[in-house]
Amino acid sequence: MSLDAVVWAALALTAAGSLCAYALALRRLYLVRSDLRHRAGEERLRTVAVALAEGDLPQADEPAEEDLELVAELLARYSRHLTGEARSNIARFFERHGLVEREIMHLDDRAAWRRARAAFLLGDVCSLRALEPLLRALQDPSREVRSAAARSVGRLGSGDAVEPLVLALVERRVPRAVGGQALLTLGADALQPLRPLAVHPEAEVRAAAAELVGLLGEPGDAGLLISRLRDSSAEVRAKAARALGRLGAEEAAMELRAALGDRIGFVRANAAVALGLVGDRASASALLEVARSDEFDPAQAAARALARLYPQMLWSAARDRTSGPHLAEAADLTAAAR
Amino acid sequence: MSVAMATNGTPLVLVADDDPDILALVGFRLERAGYEVLPARDGEEALSLALERQPDLAIIDVMMPKLDGYEVTQRLRSNQATSGMPVILLTARVQEADITRGFEAGADDYIKKPFSPQELRARVQAILGRR
Repeated sequence: MSLDAVVWAALALTAAGSLCAYALALRRLYLVRSDLRHRAGEERLRTVAVALAEGDLPQADEPAEEDLELVAELLARYSRHLTGEARSNIARFFERHGLVEREIMHLDDRAAWRRARAAFLLGDVCSLRALEPLLRALQDPSREVRSAAARSVGRLGSGDAVEPLVLALVERRVPRAVGGQALLTLGADALQPLRPLAVHPEAEVRAAAAELVGLLGEPGDAGLLISRLRDSSAEVRAKAARALGRLGAEEAAMELRAALGDRIGFVRANAAVALGLVGDRASASALLEVARSDEFDPAQAAARALARLYPQMLWSAARDRTSGPHLAEAADLTAAAR
Repeated sequence: MSVAMATNGTPLVLVADDDPDILALVGFRLERAGYEVLPARDGEEALSLALERQPDLAIIDVMMPKLDGYEVTQRLRSNQATSGMPVILLTARVQEADITRGFEAGADDYIKKPFSPQELRARVQAILGRR
């Protein structure tokens, strides 16, 4: 290769590098300026958006067409902090300006990212018009879209979403954390539709329902959960036992003691945990027996339950070297916590 | 009568939250209800504004940078100038233990996030009306 060619190649590379650097600098400048414009716009429109959320903005002061997107962005953010009438005001704004329908249309877009974005946004517009399209989006081929839809369905606060959400959970169409959080976001509104699911033909649905009733339920739900302690599915029995513990259902103590004799180890373990939580002192000797002689998980759970109920009994039992490792471990943990 | 009331006759409410959206939402509602609002963006700023201006009421977010809401409440309670100032904690942490911790720190009430602006105003009015 001649010297000229090398020089030309070096010059070309330098020029290309300079051009790239220049383009990057320009792009950076553009992004900084647009960010500043965006923030200035937010500052300017913040009061309008808050007044809209509060239903305190006269019709004549509606934001101009060019400001709608920015106000919508602010209101979507505000909706995450608000409950009650303010959310209805936000929904009315989005409905009035056709923004709900626009995002619903985006749920059918070919690009998955746009569908996911629309599914996410629809949770913040607070409009129940979005419920049906979002429930359909729980079947979307993209996991991101389904997850966004689950989160949004929870935020819309409708009991109609409970069964589809539970089904999406048990069919693993949405991540467990997202689906569970959506149901918890629904809160007490989810309870009524959840209860019938505890006797659903599919065991996984019954198990999920039992677990959620334990998280959201009230003392009156103990009867429903006690009946699930005799379910044909071990998973359901275990979840029902745990749920009874969470509810502190003292009336379930006798059935939980019986569940310490279940033929499946994780059911016995959950029953032991529950007995500790409901504070059933009559189960002390049964727990001691499980802690001494059962498999690892039930024995460990029983020893820890005993630590909650009868620390003195636990300590004296733990002194016996033949009592097994779990009583000793629970005794050590209890002593360390004191 | 507090210092703030003495200057312009409008009850002064300190609102401390590191989220500007919450500050805007709470501030707007309280101003519309006839209160003067003193915003703070972290625990330290809230404490220093409270000591300097001695507002009639403080609404304090629990999870804030520098000093959390529990700490701010405790320090307000331990200072003679602000020991009687009503404090409402604004919190997304609604486990029993968190609520108990707030009351143990000296809070008078708590509002859970997400919140209803109407409920917020009613609670503020109820507390200030009792004074």
